[in-house]
Amino acid sequence: MVIKVDDALRTDRLAELKEADATAVPAVAREGGRAPQIVPDANKQTPAVGQRVTRPDSRPHITGQTRYIDDLSFPNMLHMKILRSRYAHARIASIDVSEAEKMPGVVATLTGKEIPVNSFGPSYQDQPVLADEKVRHMGDGIVAVAAETEQQAQDALARIKVEYEPLPLVLDPLEAMKEDSPKIHGDSNIYATKVIRKGDVEKALAGADLVMEGRFSTQMVEHVPMEPHATIALWEPDGRVKILSSLGRITLGRADVARTLDLPVNRIQIVGTIVGGNFGGKNEITTEPVLALLARKAGRPVKGVFTRKDEFVSSTTRHPFIMDYKTGVMRDGRIVARKVRIVADGGAYCSWSETTLGKGAILSVGPYRIDHLEVRAYAVYTNKTTCGAMRGFGAPQVCFGYESHMDDIARELGIDPLEIRLRNVFDEGSSSPTGQVLHSVAVKESLDTVADRVGWREQAE
Amino acid sequence: MRPFDYLAPQSVEDAVAALAENGAKARALAGGTDLLVDLKHETATADLLVDLTRIAECKGIEETDDGLRFGSLVSHTEIMDSELVRRHAPSMIDAARTIGAVQTRNLGTLGGNLVTCVPSLDSGPVLVALDAEVTVAGPDGRRRMTLIEFFVGPRKTALQAGEILVDIVIPRANLGKPCSFRKFGLRKGQALALVNAAASLSLTDGKIAAPRIALGAVAPTVIRAEKAEALLDGRAPDATLIAEAADMAVIEAKPIDDFRASAAYRCELIRALTRRVLDEATEQAAG
Amino acid sequence: MDVTITVNGKTRGADVPPETTLLTLLRSNLGLTGAKLGCDVGDCGACTVLVDGEPVNACLMLAAQADGREVLTIEGLSDFQKLSPLQEMFELFSSFQCGFCAPGMIISAKALLDKNPTPTVADVREALSGNLCRCTGYTKIIDAVMEVAARGGATAERA
Repeated sequence: MVIKVDDALRTDRLAELKEADATAVPAVAREGGRAPQIVPDANKQTPAVGQRVTRPDSRPHITGQTRYIDDLSFPNMLHMKILRSRYAHARIASIDVSEAEKMPGVVATLTGKEIPVNSFGPSYQDQPVLADEKVRHMGDGIVAVAAETEQQAQDALARIKVEYEPLPLVLDPLEAMKEDSPKIHGDSNIYATKVIRKGDVEKALAGADLVMEGRFSTQMVEHVPMEPHATIALWEPDGRVKILSSLGRITLGRADVARTLDLPVNRIQIVGTIVGGNFGGKNEITTEPVLALLARKAGRPVKGVFTRKDEFVSSTTRHPFIMDYKTGVMRDGRIVARKVRIVADGGAYCSWSETTLGKGAILSVGPYRIDHLEVRAYAVYTNKTTCGAMRGFGAPQVCFGYESHMDDIARELGIDPLEIRLRNVFDEGSSSPTGQVLHSVAVKESLDTVADRVGWREQAE
Repeated sequence: MRPFDYLAPQSVEDAVAALAENGAKARALAGGTDLLVDLKHETATADLLVDLTRIAECKGIEETDDGLRFGSLVSHTEIMDSELVRRHAPSMIDAARTIGAVQTRNLGTLGGNLVTCVPSLDSGPVLVALDAEVTVAGPDGRRRMTLIEFFVGPRKTALQAGEILVDIVIPRANLGKPCSFRKFGLRKGQALALVNAAASLSLTDGKIAAPRIALGAVAPTVIRAEKAEALLDGRAPDATLIAEAADMAVIEAKPIDDFRASAAYRCELIRALTRRVLDEATEQAAG
Repeated sequence: MDVTITVNGKTRGADVPPETTLLTLLRSNLGLTGAKLGCDVGDCGACTVLVDGEPVNACLMLAAQADGREVLTIEGLSDFQKLSPLQEMFELFSSFQCGFCAPGMIISAKALLDKNPTPTVADVREALSGNLCRCTGYTKIIDAVMEVAARGGATAERA
């Protein structure tokens, strides 16, 4: 069906604005421009609510004055490049940097062994700062080189000798769950589990008029922030390391750097500046400890910037989800039971998987009144790019799952897809799958409003 | 990028001499939109870059006795802005418009596009459909050949060591010849063609003359669907005939499965795009 | 090798290795960090500058190829106090979020309006198709350009 947006919407808003202050309204743009905004004088005191205000960062951005990390430079600064793994899964037998260290312009190198505590991660510290014994995906960094120029650092990487003992790969999360699958960490590739149970789902399924099943899968997504990850580290005369980073969570980052460098937190200063896009991908440290240690070794500031390839291969991504839904419905469209199994492909390291899994699990049932439910959610290691935080933290994936499933159910029962949702959706006082009582619930009103505006019911006739 | 030396010769002969002298270690630089990317990714190496962009003989679009001449260093934007092209071969503008984005069209050159010679190159089909010829200059002098002869294989042209592409000419007889170009990519901008196609034909007493169907991204190089052309030659165009020709074009093409599309999908694209460019060329010829 | 360019109206030069791109020359040698490094291969447009009035990816042009030519970067459109009409509109519409795409996007928009003061929305989309933005969905960027066009399309450079 075709959805038409009502132009009257736009005209009403414009009329509102015109009434408010005729002189303040700029000319309406031709050819489909949106309703213009009133911008109050920033020097006048105005009540904030209901106003549109100019962003304070607009001016520096549009004049090119904003300084992102890569726009900053310090005297005597070196440039870092990282050698990343040739294999998606391998043991590292040996690392020889001696030839690289002799290359022109190279001032210092760093391997995992030199990192006091070579592990980090927001929930499990299962990720090495620089891979030392094992590589688990091709984004794993193994050796870092600091040189006078970027090209010299890059050239030195080619002289680093790493001996690998390749290990069998597992790329499919369902395969990775099997007993006999190659193991990426420890004894099992299933590293987080969330279970939610409410009521008696088996009994309720047995009592349903119809049981529908469906599997829905989503893909890995990379944030592609316009600004690649960038960090500069330098040591101050008071013995503190100052790290300027595109990292979005600087308190967390500070704790992680302190831990990996085995230094008191008060020796670490992290300066967060304007970030050129995060979306979750800059929520944990990447090379900050490496740069700190290189800067200390070299006695000079060191800058490291991800290439666009690094962004795709090494920085975190959105978890692919495989979602199996089983729903018991009555002929009138009422859902009486729902079972969900989620397999979250977590890539090589845990990162923000626990949070993603938890949120995804809670939301996976959908915003529907279902008294009998069970969700089983698993985070699984694979030899792929680490999956971490990305806007939604599991919500986008499960929304795709439960809404696609709902459309299938509607079609099977011959009920209008909007109607079936209105029959099941949360009300004021409804209980979430985990027992939270919900207030200020406006789902029905929102759906009805949209239906009116797009003429859903008229077009269905 | 790794260090290299740089020369900006002012003449074709100087450029050829520099390239011939340095052999495989020297590369010719035009717009840089392919070569610099390859150098950055280290899929190409060079100790010397010979910048062709200052060579006057390789610039400009002009009408000559031979036909419509494009210097090899003409940018895609210049093609789009050219009154001569609009008059004599407007489907070249349609093709140029689909290449990359504004910035890469300002830098990228017609010659560079032809010399990089990826199977999906967008400037290929129209020129092939209009029987374009190229001039190549090398240490042993100059030679001319058709564009079909110039395209040898994926990323491989007839250029020998030390040779550069000097110009591309659409023969006088084909100036103003009805021609149409279509491209299908996964996006409207900054997209490689899954399939691109050009068709050109005249109508004499209501019958098709000199039909040409050129397809890109469906074989190692741009190809002419000669059997499809033969089907059309000398016959009055109608929907059934055009559909037959499109079906034949599918058979003549050899599309592959890759991460952008399956061969089967590409076959459907060939069928649809061939029909459309034939329809449009026929409409131009009739009107 | 010595490279001399006229950038934002001033003659500037540097002695750089031949493999230096125009982007590196601007950012590292001339301190003009407005043009950004987003991909280094001409896909994202964050490095867009005008060379002799035409928008190009500075990452795909050698500094040597810009020798003797006129370059306009975002810094040349205005100073902090007095914005060009185009920039004023981006501020009014709050078109940008993280801002990383902004310099390149604004240069491309300026190039469009210089060539075509009365573009359609489709023209704007095509003109900006070489500038990627991950934050905004482009809507308010396009609106701002259309609004400038509606008001007469004037883009004033700093005197």
